Amino acid sequence: MIESIKEIVRDHIQYKDQIKMLAKSDLIKTYRGAALGWSWAIIKPLITLFVFWFAFSVGLRSGKPVAGYSFFLWLVAGFLPWFFMQELITGGAACIRKYSPLVTKMKFPISIIPTYFNISHLYTHLALLVITIVLFAVSGHMPDIYLLQIPFYMLLMVAFFIVWALLAGMLSAISKDFQNLVNALSSAIFWMSGIIYNVEDIENTWIRVMLKFNPVTVISSGYRRAFIYKKWFWQDKVSLVCFSITFLIFLILALTVYKKLRKEIPDVL
Amino acid sequence: MSNEVVVRFDNVTKMYKLYKSSRARFKGLFSKKVPYKENKAVNGMSFEVRKGESVALFGRNGAGKSTMLKMITGVTFPTEGEITVKGKVCALLELGAGFDAESTGRENIRFKCSLMGMNDEEIDAVEDDIVQFADIGDYMDQPLRSYSSGMKARLGFAINANAQPDILIVDEALSVGDRNFQKKCKEKIAEIMADDNVTLLFVTHSLTTARDFCKRGIVLEKGKILFDGTIDEAIKFYETK
Repeated sequence: MIESIKEIVRDHIQYKDQIKMLAKSDLIKTYRGAALGWSWAIIKPLITLFVFWFAFSVGLRSGKPVAGYSFFLWLVAGFLPWFFMQELITGGAACIRKYSPLVTKMKFPISIIPTYFNISHLYTHLALLVITIVLFAVSGHMPDIYLLQIPFYMLLMVAFFIVWALLAGMLSAISKDFQNLVNALSSAIFWMSGIIYNVEDIENTWIRVMLKFNPVTVISSGYRRAFIYKKWFWQDKVSLVCFSITFLIFLILALTVYKKLRKEIPDVL
Repeated sequence: MSNEVVVRFDNVTKMYKLYKSSRARFKGLFSKKVPYKENKAVNGMSFEVRKGESVALFGRNGAGKSTMLKMITGVTFPTEGEITVKGKVCALLELGAGFDAESTGRENIRFKCSLMGMNDEEIDAVEDDIVQFADIGDYMDQPLRSYSSGMKARLGFAINANAQPDILIVDEALSVGDRNFQKKCKEKIAEIMADDNVTLLFVTHSLTTARDFCKRGIVLEKGKILFDGTIDEAIKFYETK
């Protein structure tokens, strides 16, 4: 396992320029060819937000303001990281397949693909973050010191999803069944995470803690702590411990699978 | 020719596991009981190539030539044995592959060169040569999806041939393009080979082309080396077999 880590780190140092280039080209590829181009990066999230706002505020009439923030802003704060995670859950599982020519036609380290794939999506995420901050400011909520913890949660998010994309990407490369499984589970993950409800409001302690083992919950709630609840990340130690345990399990899984499959993937793709 | 060995195969075997379905392959990851058939594309192969040598590889389809070249390129890995390769390998295999269809020819040049490990300055230095050699005119700034397969191959050859390889691998690449371009390709390979430090591995079914470029010939069958010697002897062996 130490060997795998060393190999992955060495490849990343050697290919650092290519990572930048490939991230850029992946980003351009996503939006080029459509007449509205870049605006899709904003239109898609806006539609999702509108639909959920409509269903909860108008339909179910349950969208009450939270901690002095309108329900819509509360939705925005939690959905902001979800847009990234949503792309990475399914897209991450497909990333090695998507870039199979890199693996089958030339000498290219497989572990690089999840990294630049994450960075490419991070650009979109950063743009949405800026828009969100502006939106909050326009609504009368100026940026404050609590927003400083956003980079921390962003780091957790990217770290976890690089590991996820490596693990899921390799398994999907071997079998399309796994990719289909991830696609099927994607909406389950959404509803079982604290994106459209506050996990802290759940009365059953067991369920509350179990949900925190889901990184999506921890990160989405983390963004809300910064934007809405105005609390620091160290005030919720349970979340951090749960996240670390999940992260470690996925890291070990990813490294084990990497060691086993790294040399087999070019032959089966 | 120097004595430095640039390619060494030490008892190399490449075994492909053939499962019945992709589901069986997935199960096979977790259990050794799932049945599969073995196909040894390369079977216990050992040889050395020294710096500056030019080697032709002969063999029928399925003899193991492509697998062998893929392992030298570093695309695929041996099941057993060890491979040492020294220097930058450029492979003229599947010339049209690995391009991004939405990007222009010029963007693809930068893209591919960068993937081969060249930095911006090095790419700037060879870009004009590549454009000139590919000779596809205004198409250079058009997206690759509008290219004909011949144009893609020309661009692919131009990039690989101008990337200053230490080891050049040519696999049937000369059968693309029109007669003029084929001639140009041969001249380019001859030019690269004029440098004594460049090693050539050449796969072809055309015995005359092989004789033009290579001094040594290796004949393969079913993943094993049947014959290894001078080009004339190798051709004789291959023809009479």
